[in-house]
Parts: sequence; structure tokens; C-alpha cells
Amino acid sequence: MKDILASAEELPRGIDQNLAGCHICGKASPTSLEHCPRCGSHLHLRKPHSIQRTLALLAAAAIFYIPANLLPIMTIVEVGEVTKATIIEGMINFWKAGAYPIAIVIFTASILIPLLKIIALCWLCAAASGRLHPSPKALSRIYLITELLGRWSMVDIFVVGILVALAQLGNYMTVTIGPGALAFGCVVIVTMFSAMSFDPRLLWDRMLAEQSQSSNHPQPLERTDPNS
Amino acid sequence: MPVPEGTAARCKRCDAVLFQNRPASLRRATAFAITALILLVLVHFFPFLTMDAAGMRRTLNLTSATIALMDQGSVLVGLGVGLFTVVMPMIMASGLIFVCGPLIFGRIAPGAFTVARWLSRMEPWNMIEVFVLAVLVSLLKIAKVADVHFGIGFYLFCILMLCMAAAVSGIDRDELWDRLEVARGKK
Repeated sequence: MKDILASAEELPRGIDQNLAGCHICGKASPTSLEHCPRCGSHLHLRKPHSIQRTLALLAAAAIFYIPANLLPIMTIVEVGEVTKATIIEGMINFWKAGAYPIAIVIFTASILIPLLKIIALCWLCAAASGRLHPSPKALSRIYLITELLGRWSMVDIFVVGILVALAQLGNYMTVTIGPGALAFGCVVIVTMFSAMSFDPRLLWDRMLAEQSQSSNHPQPLERTDPNS
Repeated sequence: MPVPEGTAARCKRCDAVLFQNRPASLRRATAFAITALILLVLVHFFPFLTMDAAGMRRTLNLTSATIALMDQGSVLVGLGVGLFTVVMPMIMASGLIFVCGPLIFGRIAPGAFTVARWLSRMEPWNMIEVFVLAVLVSLLKIAKVADVHFGIGFYLFCILMLCMAAAVSGIDRDELWDRLEVARGKK
């Protein structure tokens, strides 16, 4: 932890030199500009209202998460026998049938990843607003992982789509989509947007701000973004 | 600080990869994107999966999941599936060709900057590889009630997945923007 802090202190920051990194193309430009001179997107020092947006989208995701898990994502009619399966029931059925690898894939993609993503983003927001003090390096890595893994949760929706298309065998077997699928799709999409609106640089800002507070060297670390 | 071809620079703070200088980046990205686009068209003409059960045969195409979901009244879910598996890959591949192709000859296509900006926003919504996983999971799910066979479409789609990954990661974003900027300066 110490060497990270030391190296972070030595490194010059764009924010101290009035340079803003473009969120899209990465070019550093003077903060006085409104648009990136290279790619033309809006220029901000940090993503505007990052924590607020992330938390708002997370709240939406948490709400969608409830019907996504309680309502069936599909209804299977097999030789007259009707089974309404939620995500968890589907996973348990696989496990009971001895199909452990798929059970683990489904558990990871549809239960673990969305849940961990919501928790991780809450934690990141808490750290960025100074309520928690873990290592920013570990946090940045968590952020990268949540951003990478999020899309894989969509696998369940695709499975429902494929089964609905494939298993239409009249009286023998039919599969229809349940209301849980839409809710689950919303969870995935909303958490993806939530992760995108989080700005990991806020974690480093917070760390440097606390560092300068403890060493009694008041530095002008937090500047207001003229564009937000 | 120059980054030699085939190596990468990392962030001193969080260790994430900052910049990668990939060999023959523009040509590679364009070539793979063209292949991906051709496969994206071809894939519609071959069955993905064929299922035999109870004396009936059903085949699945890339778009049949979307169509079946919309038929059942789940328009939103159906459109979502279609968007992530058909439309987004199409836009990604053609967008990459549009931006990278002319750059090989040091030119920029009209509106290339806007297209490149949208491409970087769209990248996470292109879910080809997730769909491949979904095909495998559903296969295992119905293997016990029916005979399921992979069709040519599925193999094409797997190649498409690899081509798409190669095209998207063929060129580093920073390098692409640098090249676009240089090409604009020359004009």
C-alpha cells in the first residue's frame, strides 16, 4: 500500500494541470474546452454526477432484481405437465440432475454476477464518497472486473429465447417466456449502465484528498468541473 | 515514450493496460471485420441447431429466437435479443470497416469520428460470445428430451465470434484515435 501511495503522489495529475481526459477517446485537453478537439464528445474532468447516477441506476437494478428472481422466467409444458421455473429453480434442477457444470455456469452468470455487481458498485460508491477506505488499486481492479463480467448475465435471456424458439413440439413440449425474463433483462442492462456511469478516478481523488488532509498539506485537490 | 510494436503500456496507478501497439493493426482490424460481416450475412442461411423429438424436426436460426419471442408477445425481450445478437454485431463490423478501411490508405471516411465515437460506446452491447454460451447451455438443457445436432450455422457463428473479437481487439483505441487525428491533419 505504501509504495502505491508514494508513486501516486509523484505522478502528476491532469486535474492539477487543468487537463481533462476525454471519456471516449482518452485525449487530454484543457478543461476550458467544452468538446474534445479530437473526437468531439463532451469534455469533463470527471464523469458528471457519477456517484449519483451510479447509485440511482443501482437502486433501479435492485428493484428489478426482486421480480427477476421471484417470477418465473419460463413456463415449460411437458406432456401436459406444467413447470414454471424461476432462475434459481432452473439452476437447482440442473444440480439435481447431475449437470454440475451448467448449474455452476447458470449460478455464476444469473445469480452471482448481478448480485456481486450491485454490491461491488455500492462499495465503490461508498469508497469514492469517503465512507470506506480500502486500497484504490484493488477497487480499480474490482471496477474493471464488474465492467467486463456484466454482459455475461444476459446468457439466461438468450437461453429462454432459444428454448422458446426450439421447443415448440405441440402436445409433447412447449416453452413460453415468463415475466421474470423481462425483469432480469432490465437488471442486466441497468447494472451495465450503472457501471458505465461510475468514474474510477474518483477513488484516486478521494485517496489523495485524504492523504493531504492527514499530512496537513492542504492542496487544491477537489476542483469543480466547469462543464457539469 | 514510444511503445514498440507488439508490446503494451500499463497505468502506473492501477496497472490496467493503457496502450497496446499491435502488429499490422489497421489491416488486421479491417480484414477481420470484413470476414465477420460476410459471416454475419451467411449465418442466416444455415441452421444453427436441429432438434428431433417426438417425430418432429425443428431448426433454429440466428433470428428465430427473436421471432419466437415476439410471436409470444414478449416484444421487448425479443427486440433486445435481436439487438444484442444481430444488429449490434452488424453495426460493429461495418463501423470498423468504415473507420479502419480508409485509414489504411491514410484517408478518413466522412463522419468517421462520429462513427468511431459510437463504436466505442457500443462495444459492450455486442454479445455474440454470450449467445454462443447460451446455445451451449440450452443444448444441454433439452438434450435429455430431444436429439439435438449442431448445424453449419453454429460453426459459422463460432468463427464469427473469433473474427469479431480479433477485429475489435485488432486495433488499440488510442492508436485508432491517433491515426484518425493524423489523417485529419494531413488533409
